[in-house]
Parts: sequence; C-alpha cells; structure tokens
Amino acid sequence: MKTIKLLVLSIMLISFFNCEDDGPNLQDIQSVSIEDLYAPQEGGQGQPISGTFARFDFETGLQTESETEWDVAFRGTSIIVNGGTSLGTTDEPERTGDAGVYIFDGTMAEMVAVETSLIIQDSSSGYAIQSGSGNGWYTYAGPPTYLINPTPGKILVFRTRDGKYAKMEILSYYLGAPENPDAFSDPSRYFTFNYVYQPNEGVTDFN
Amino acid sequence: MFKKITLLHLLFLCSSFSWSQAVFLDNDSIENSLDEVIISGTKTIRTVSSLPLNASVIKKDAIEKTNATRLSDVINEELGLITVSDFGGAEGIQMQGLDSEYTLVLLDNQPLVGRLAGTLDLNRISVGNIKQIEIVRGPSSSLYGNNAFAGVINIITEEPSEGFNGYLSSTYETHKTLDNSINLNYKKKKFYGSVFFNNYSSDGYDLIEDDGLNTVNKFNTNTLQIKFGQNISESLKVKINARYYAQLIDNIAPNSLSGETFTAEDNINLIVSHESDKLKTDLEIYFTSYFGDEFLDDDQGNRFSESFYDQILFKPEIKTVYKVNNQKELVFGLGYKYESLNRTYFDLKPKQKSPFIYFQYDFNPNDKVNLIFGGRFDKYKEYKSQISPKFSGIYKIGDNESIKVSAGYGYKTPDFRQLYFNFSNSTIGYSVIGYNVVEDVLNQLINEGQIANIIVPIDEFEEPLSPESSFGLNVGYNRDLNEKINMSVNVFNNSAKNLIDYRVIANKTNGQNVFSYYNVNNVSTFGFDIKTKFKTDNYLNFTLGYQLLYAFDLDARNAFENGEIFARLTPTSPAFRLKKSDYFGLYNRSRHMGVFKVNYNNLEKKFSANLRLRYRSKYGLFDSNSNNYLDKYDTFVKGHFTTNISLNKKINSKTMVSGGIENIFNYLDTENISSLSGRIYYLRIKHNLN
Repeated sequence: MKTIKLLVLSIMLISFFNCEDDGPNLQDIQSVSIEDLYAPQEGGQGQPISGTFARFDFETGLQTESETEWDVAFRGTSIIVNGGTSLGTTDEPERTGDAGVYIFDGTMAEMVAVETSLIIQDSSSGYAIQSGSGNGWYTYAGPPTYLINPTPGKILVFRTRDGKYAKMEILSYYLGAPENPDAFSDPSRYFTFNYVYQPNEGVTDFN
Repeated sequence: MFKKITLLHLLFLCSSFSWSQAVFLDNDSIENSLDEVIISGTKTIRTVSSLPLNASVIKKDAIEKTNATRLSDVINEELGLITVSDFGGAEGIQMQGLDSEYTLVLLDNQPLVGRLAGTLDLNRISVGNIKQIEIVRGPSSSLYGNNAFAGVINIITEEPSEGFNGYLSSTYETHKTLDNSINLNYKKKKFYGSVFFNNYSSDGYDLIEDDGLNTVNKFNTNTLQIKFGQNISESLKVKINARYYAQLIDNIAPNSLSGETFTAEDNINLIVSHESDKLKTDLEIYFTSYFGDEFLDDDQGNRFSESFYDQILFKPEIKTVYKVNNQKELVFGLGYKYESLNRTYFDLKPKQKSPFIYFQYDFNPNDKVNLIFGGRFDKYKEYKSQISPKFSGIYKIGDNESIKVSAGYGYKTPDFRQLYFNFSNSTIGYSVIGYNVVEDVLNQLINEGQIANIIVPIDEFEEPLSPESSFGLNVGYNRDLNEKINMSVNVFNNSAKNLIDYRVIANKTNGQNVFSYYNVNNVSTFGFDIKTKFKTDNYLNFTLGYQLLYAFDLDARNAFENGEIFARLTPTSPAFRLKKSDYFGLYNRSRHMGVFKVNYNNLEKKFSANLRLRYRSKYGLFDSNSNNYLDKYDTFVKGHFTTNISLNKKINSKTMVSGGIENIFNYLDTENISSLSGRIYYLRIKHNLN
C-alpha cells in the first residue's frame, strides 16, 4: 500500500516536472535564403542618384511595393531601414516604422542575442548602415578585380518596424551569386542573403 | 609640351665620382687581389670579405656574361632581391621583405630622384657601362641619411684605364628590342675622359588581348654619360661626371585615349679631392633633376589630360677620411640637401632643406676583430630631426672563417606626395589629400557641399606626420671550406614602425571616400639566407642560394590573434573566424626564394656559357576575399621557376658574339606577372676598339 502510494506520488512528481510549460504560443524562428533581390539605381559615379528602393518585409520574406509594410530597403549599395528620418535623396521613401539596425562583428552562428542598445536608425546626416567601402556591409576590392564583396564577419542585426528582430548575412551583390564573380560581366545590384527572423515580438535571441 | 633640356644640361658639364685613394684593407686581402672591393659599406675602400656588413658585389664580368640589358634583370638574379612594379609601372627592389621605396638607389655614389609613386624605376639605369653593383643590406642611414632603410644599392660605372680603349655593342631581342652602346675611354698621365652612349628601344608587348591596352608600351630610351678627371697636382684631383637620360613611351589608355610619356633626367657631379699622407678630403657638389610629362589625347586629337613632374636635388657634401694608422680610420662628413618638387595635383611647390653631419670610426682592436661605429644627424624643419646610429663588427675565427654582426637605424621622411597631394578621380569620384593640406582641401570640399560626413576630425592632422623608421639586425657567418667551396649564412630582422599608409578620412556626398595618409603600420621582417659557391675545376662553378622570409604587419597579426578577422571559403558561403596561423603576411612577399647558377668558362676555346634558375614560392598580390588582409584563403600567384641561359664566344681577339634565351620554359602568368612575356631570344655582338 505504502509502496503504491509512493509510486503514484513519484509518478505524479515526475510528470509534474516533465510537464512543459506551454505558456503563450511561441512561434519558431525562420531561416530564409533570398536570392537575387534586384536593387536598381539610377545615376551614381559622380551623377545624382535616384530610383525606387527595393523594399523587403521580414515577416512575409518577400519584396514589397508597400509604403508601410517594409523593414529594410536596397538601392545600389545603399541599405536603409524603415525607421528614423530620410537622408533626403531623390525617390527615398519616408520612414513609417520603428526599424533600426546595427552591424555585429562575428559569424551568423555567433549572433545569438541582440544588443538593443546598439541599434541605430537612418537620419538626415547619414544612413545607419554607412556608405563607402569598408564602412558598412561591403568592401570594394579595387584593382584588379573591382568587385563589391560583402565583408566577411559582418552580420546586420535588425529590429523590424514592429519590434521584432532579424539577423542577416549578405552573401553576394551579383546576379546568380557566382562563386567567382566577374565585375565586368556579372550584373550587379542583385542581393543574395541569408537571414534568421525571430517572429515573437520583443524576443531578442535567435534560439 | 615637352621640355627641351638637352642642350642646356649637356653644357653644364660638371660632376664627379671618385675612388678614395686611402685604403683600409686587412693584410690577407691585399695578397688576394681577386677579393671584391666595396665602398658603399663605409664610404671608404674595403674588401667584401673583411667588411662586417651584409654586403655583396656583382661584378662587370658576371653582368656581361648574362648579357643583361636591363638593371632589373641583373638584380632579379641576386638571392633575396626581387624587383617589384608599383602601379605606375616603375620597377623597384624589394630587399629583406621591405618595400622598394625603402631602398636607396645610388648611381656613382649619388642618389637619383623621381619617385612618382615611391619607387625608383631601376630601368632608368643603363647596364652597358657598369663596373660593379654594390649591395649593402640593412639600415644604412648612418652614412646616407634618408631612404636607406632596407639597404643601399650603388651602381658604379667604369672609369678609364691607361691608354685608349672602348667598345661597340649591339643586342637584338624578341619584341623588336634593340640595345646599342658605344663606350670610348681615354687616359693618359694626369687626364682621363670617357663617353658612353646607349640607346634602348622596344615595341613592347601585350599579355592580355582585347582590352585595348598594352602590358608594356613601345618605348625609346637614350643615355649619355660623360666623365672627365684631371690631376692638378700630386695631391689635388678634379673629376666631373655628367649624365643625361631621356625616355619616350607610348601612352595608351581605355576609351581610345592615346598619347606619350616623356621623362628626362640629368645628373651632374663635381668632385675635388685632396690627398695627403693621412688625410683625404673629397668635396662633392651634386645636382640632379628629373622631369616627366605625360599626356593623353582622345581619338579626335583633343587634349584629354596632361600632367607633369619636375623634381630637383642639390647636394654639396664634404668628406674627410683620416687614417690614424693601419688599424684605425676615421670618417667625418657634412653636407646639405636641397630638394624641391613641382607637379600636377600639388597646390604648392614644396621644398625640403636639410643639413647633415656624419662620422664613422673603423678600427681593429686586434688582428682578428674589426669594429665600425658610426652615426649621422639629419636636421629637418618639418619633422623630427633624425639621429641614425649603426654598429657592426666582424670576428675572424680562422683564416677562412668569420662571423659578423651589424645593427643600425634607418628612416624615411614622408615624401612630398604623402604631404601635398590634392587629387580627385573624375570618373569614380574619390579624392586623395596629402597630410599637410588636409585642413585646406577638406574645408574647400565642405564649402562646395561635397562632404557627407567627416570620419577623422581635422585636428588629428595638427601633429606632423612622423618619418618612417626601422631598426635592422644582420648576423652572418662565412666560411671557405676549401679553395673550391665557400658558404655563407645570414640571419636578418627588421622592425619597422610608423610606416605610412592611407585611410578614409571623410565620406563624400557622391558615396565615395576621401583618403589621406597616416603613420600606422608596424612591420616585422625576418628570416635567413644561405648561399654556397663551388668550383669543380677551372671550367665550372656553381652558386646555390636559398632565402626564407617572414614579413608581417604586427597589428594585422594581433587582429588575427584576437579573432577579429573573418573569411569565406567561396564568395557565397557563410563567413567564419580566422586564427593567427591563417595570416600569411604582407603582399608580394614569397616565403621561399632560391637561385641556382652554373657557369662554364673555357679560356682556351674563348667560350663561356651559363645557366641561371630562379625560384619564387607563392605570393599574394591583393586581398581577394575582402577582409582587408592576406590570409591563407586568399588567391595567390603560383610559385614558379624562371630559367635563363647564355652562350658567349669570342670570334677573334676583339669581337664577342653572344646568344641566349630568357625564360626558356616559357613560363607565363598573364594575369599576375606582367614582367614575364614568354621566351625571349637574343643575339649580341660586342666589338672592342683596340
């Protein structure tokens, strides 16, 4: 009798501790690969720059034409977020959300927890992701290859327009993400990147 | 347009070069008259074997037998020396892993100017009348001041011997390359005179077709060298050396632009020497100028661009050698350097004026040891004046064995370009501003609305740019195993700091960057070389040499060690962190280099032949994986051999015919090595005039 009571108690205790606390429904993180997102630009190379930015939404994982439902946008080598204020270049969209970004030095796998204090937004004096080779996401190789290469070890960490987080590694700036790009024959301004999206609002880790 | 300097400068026939007569040799070497003699190590006559420095000599005979027409060909066959091209095409010398801008190049003891991008183009120096090339490795600013950081190369031209002699020489090579020389020498009693003229021209070649450009453009070069010497009395001599050089190269650029590049140079040196029993004094007054003008026209003949470069150097120097006795010799010297530059992309015409003073004490405390102490003080207004000490010593372990050590300080002042450049690239849009004009030019760009944001505050440019400096150590061991075999081992270490590099100082509104210069790099090069020469019999001799070189940027090494550097295996794979062992080192340095030479000399049959092999292990030219450093995962230029062969035959008492092939195995790397154009065949005739 005593043994059975003990057994039942044990089983109940064990089950109690093994019971998972479901809590509110947590969605899984999403790991996505995007290929050849086209980000055309008019002008540049000393001429005034213009052209529509190619807008992207982490939640849908798709390019969008929406003026509000976007987190990050690309034009040529420029990358902007839907947060802060516009730099005022021609055709640049108004910011309608609270997105921000910072650059983490490390590998995609090492970026496990967002440091929210480092997040900055675009402003009227410059984009959060700085322009110019070596300052932001890319390095311009110069002679002899003249390639635009995404700098290894730079992870873009985003806060989306609505308070969720994503980390992104840009892999290529050329159409088809070739293994040996040729700056003279491979069309450029095609972004290939991997990202991990944390769909749970306010959650800053990517587990 | 082209400046016609010819007549003006030829009239100005004053220059001098002299062998100091006071000799400081150790007794053994006087008997062995085949011992090589060198003056660049100490500014006095010494034998190479007794000199406590890491030094070597390439003699005329060796140069002749290889039939080299260009100086870079001769230098490339020396162990541990590599010629490297800068982006302007000038070929300079990399020594002990240090860049070509850090080697001082002298012609008849005097420096040449005209380093448009830091490198002195070796091919400005004709090979036809070289008596010997002296190479001193290790910092030598204690005697030579500015630029003698990695070492010194002194090209010494011939001086006439008694009577009349001379020669004519003509060489024809692949790519329609022609080299013709005439040399006339006369010496009688108290007077000598010599004239040397060389014309060197080529059609050039193109390694990459359909890019509209040539790898090497068609060029035509003339050199005229005139020397006079007169003994005014028993103890007083006057010498004058003059040289004029002119080169015209086709200039071809993309978008159907074409034009020409013209460069002209003159050197004039006057030496007055006075010699008494123990004291020998030389007064040398030297002037040199280098002028370059380059233009491009479009296909309509309209002038598209033009730029010029005009630099002069004036240097009077007086040197006294006091021979206390056979064991002690003192050298004392002082002088003044005046240098000015006028060129396109400079807003002003900078000048550099610096007086200098140096001394050297060379003594044998006993008959096994020779020690040399020296130092030089160079005064500068724009930057910290420099004190360059040097110490070296040699110990004779036995008659055929010695060990030597030398340690010294070398420096290089920032050049005018790093201080005063003001250049904006009109197609891409970036700008380069010299350190001293940053405030003015940047403010101007800000007023024009061209600056988006400033990265390096302007007040960081208040402190003057420091000279680059290096401390070098060389330890060597030399042994004659027997009459037929000699070997030497040299270990070296150079620690250079404050090396000047460029960085982004501001972003422009057009998305491009503004660059300027700063003192940043700490570089360490170290390694060793081992060389052996052996004769099998009276006909054959061999040389075998190997060098191991490590050349690192110390801050880069730290960055790797701290895990700050990443790479990708392929451009589209995720990045990963690199380790300290993944850092390869500086660009364009090979870890391993080797030379192998075979010489066959048959005096009876008046025939000689030689075979020379050169090996260079893999090296990186640029950062291919965009992490700003040269690491294991970058793309490297493949290691390779180049093999050259020459045959020489005297067909009568005055005439020699030579033929040969360079790069016999036709090694090509058209992407990366622009100096190799495949197999080069040549034929040469040399005729002595008496």
